[in-house]
Amino acid sequence: MENKPKRPANYLALAIISTILCCLPAGIVSIVYSTQVNSAYDEGDYDKANRASKNAKTWGIVSIVIAAVGWLIYILIFGVALFGAATSGGNF
Amino acid sequence: MPYLVQLQVVEISKLKLGLIISIVIALSLMLSLYFFYDPSEVSRLFPKCPFYSLTNLYCPGCGSQRAVHQILNGHIITGLRHNYLIGLLAVVLGYQTLLYATHELTDRRITNLLHQTKTTKAILVMILLFWVFRNINVFPFTELAP
Repeated sequence: MENKPKRPANYLALAIISTILCCLPAGIVSIVYSTQVNSAYDEGDYDKANRASKNAKTWGIVSIVIAAVGWLIYILIFGVALFGAATSGGNF
Repeated sequence: MPYLVQLQVVEISKLKLGLIISIVIALSLMLSLYFFYDPSEVSRLFPKCPFYSLTNLYCPGCGSQRAVHQILNGHIITGLRHNYLIGLLAVVLGYQTLLYATHELTDRRITNLLHQTKTTKAILVMILLFWVFRNINVFPFTELAP
């Protein structure tokens, strides 16, 4: 019996979340890597599967963090301006 | 060949716990903002998709802010029509939760469909097609537009 290493996680859900949240197509890259995890593992190329798993995770997290930071900056700038205008009467 | 999943005992460090707690707090703040404000009404408050702003084309994520607002307010169908990928995400997350629970609570071992190359490839193709089709301004593709 051949001793197979554990199948690396493919982070598919993370990749889909980053595709939906981030308008950057980085989420697509993450899904491509996530697909490679399965195909490489099934071909027996465990090193490639591990690398693809790490890449899927990194691309997913990086695009979510970029989106979150961009979102926060936007909300802080425009949100504060909007609420400031609303509280100062808004009749000008 | 029976495929046994090794169960790992995960120790959560203080740093990780702090990170999880701050993510939960940030997420609930964000979600309440999307609950109370409709991105299609107070559009100035919410960021626009950078991809759409640059190219005038919809990306696979376009409409997700409006969708989140509608879904949080109980209008699930209206929400999904802004971005169908949220439905796909719900299916994938639900499936993984179900599988995880089955493996933790029972002795049954179900083959994870998401570990099959065909499934992940199909999802990739689906998302790419969704991206292309939602930009075609002809019925029935207009249904896919945000």
